[in-house]
Amino acid sequence: MKRRILCALLTLILCACALSGCKEQPELREFTTFAMDTAINFTFYCEDGSRTGQAYTTMANGLSDLDSLLSVTGEDSDVSRVNRSAGQPVEVGDWAALALSQALELCAVTDGALDITAYPAVKAWGFTQEEHRVPSEEELAELAAKIDYSAVKLKGNTITLPEGMEIDLGAVAKGFAGDWLAQQVRNIYPGKDSALLDLGQSTIVAVGSKPGGKPWRIGIVDPARPGSYFAVVELEDMAMGTSGGYQRYFERDGVTYWHILDPDTAAPARSGLSSVTVVSPSALLCDGLSTALFVMGLEEGTAFWENHPELEFEAVFVTEDGEIYRTAGLEGRFFLAEGYEDREVTVLE
Amino acid sequence: MKAKAIGLLLAGAVVASAAWLLLGSGKTDAPVARITRDGALLEEIDLDRVDETYSFTLEDGRGINTVLVERGRIRVSEADCPDRVCVNRGWISDGTAPIICLPHKLMIEIVGGGGDLDGGAG
Repeated sequence: MKRRILCALLTLILCACALSGCKEQPELREFTTFAMDTAINFTFYCEDGSRTGQAYTTMANGLSDLDSLLSVTGEDSDVSRVNRSAGQPVEVGDWAALALSQALELCAVTDGALDITAYPAVKAWGFTQEEHRVPSEEELAELAAKIDYSAVKLKGNTITLPEGMEIDLGAVAKGFAGDWLAQQVRNIYPGKDSALLDLGQSTIVAVGSKPGGKPWRIGIVDPARPGSYFAVVELEDMAMGTSGGYQRYFERDGVTYWHILDPDTAAPARSGLSSVTVVSPSALLCDGLSTALFVMGLEEGTAFWENHPELEFEAVFVTEDGEIYRTAGLEGRFFLAEGYEDREVTVLE
Repeated sequence: MKAKAIGLLLAGAVVASAAWLLLGSGKTDAPVARITRDGALLEEIDLDRVDETYSFTLEDGRGINTVLVERGRIRVSEADCPDRVCVNRGWISDGTAPIICLPHKLMIEIVGGGGDLDGGAG
């Protein structure tokens, strides 16, 4: 009899252990969807699995809407309507107006190192349709003369763009989407949020931390060997964006031409950098600023970081010679990856 | 005697569930490359069981991607997509970030295996 009770007790304990074990381990869910010219991956840890479907539907639908409004190639997008406006005012939706106003702010604060009106130059190099060509000096001078974000007028939801100019929100659209997606995760899982939103690797948003309070660990691609990661950044409620010449490029007569253009010259930005990573709470800032800092180069980019503490960002620069620089605020969050431990990292104070 | 047997069974069950709880929470050990198109699985390759380097071609109406497989790693070596982002991505050997050919809606990701990163940027 005693033994029977003992057995029953043991069974109970065993069941309890097994059940609590399941509960303590939040479920890992992953989804991939194609939007904004990339594959977008959501990773969630959720305690309440019933909401995962809702989260996925909300996010995938929102992304698809954002894509159709902000895409520069979609015929009916707000951006395309603005580009076809021939100087006439165009009324756009709230999302396009908000994305545009945030993008224009970033253009202004970077003094045009980021410029959303460089689209005709991007087209001239063939980066949109992947039919690459090298424009002549005269053509580039003409294109550069027409790049000027300050000519774009936004009043409420009405945009006026001078004739002959075209805008592209590509440098900030993924960041804008990332911030919006992170907000959705926080709304759906208030207080228990734990997600990693990977918008085609160039923009990553960490919502909360991993279960157990550990930070998300994100590798930064080695520009010299794009299959490897030279460093790891730990993120918690933080976004990260990387711009690198190796991401999209073509070669002609032994010269490499990449997709990040200098708005001053309408030609690929050769500032001596091969990649820039920005870490900040705003994905839009990470996205746009990584491009702008790439255009500025190490010296000007460092000065920009020093002069703009209000933007609350940190950065990692890799030069074309393979030198690594990082800002001081990444202390305790930046580590060299396995195999790169002997590389020197200069800390920018 | 009967009680002893039950006791043994129970002890076994405790050990088994402890092992299940401990091991089940982690990822599988062997790195497996999963190749999908439009989200549908095309191939699964256990990268630990690759003895000799080999390659194969994936083709559909959108175009061709040639996949090269070595022990522990995989890459797209040739493709007729316009941007060639998949080829430029080079080798991958862990699940940090997949290889993606957007024009052909093809994705190669590695599940299981080591690697302590949750994602990759760049």
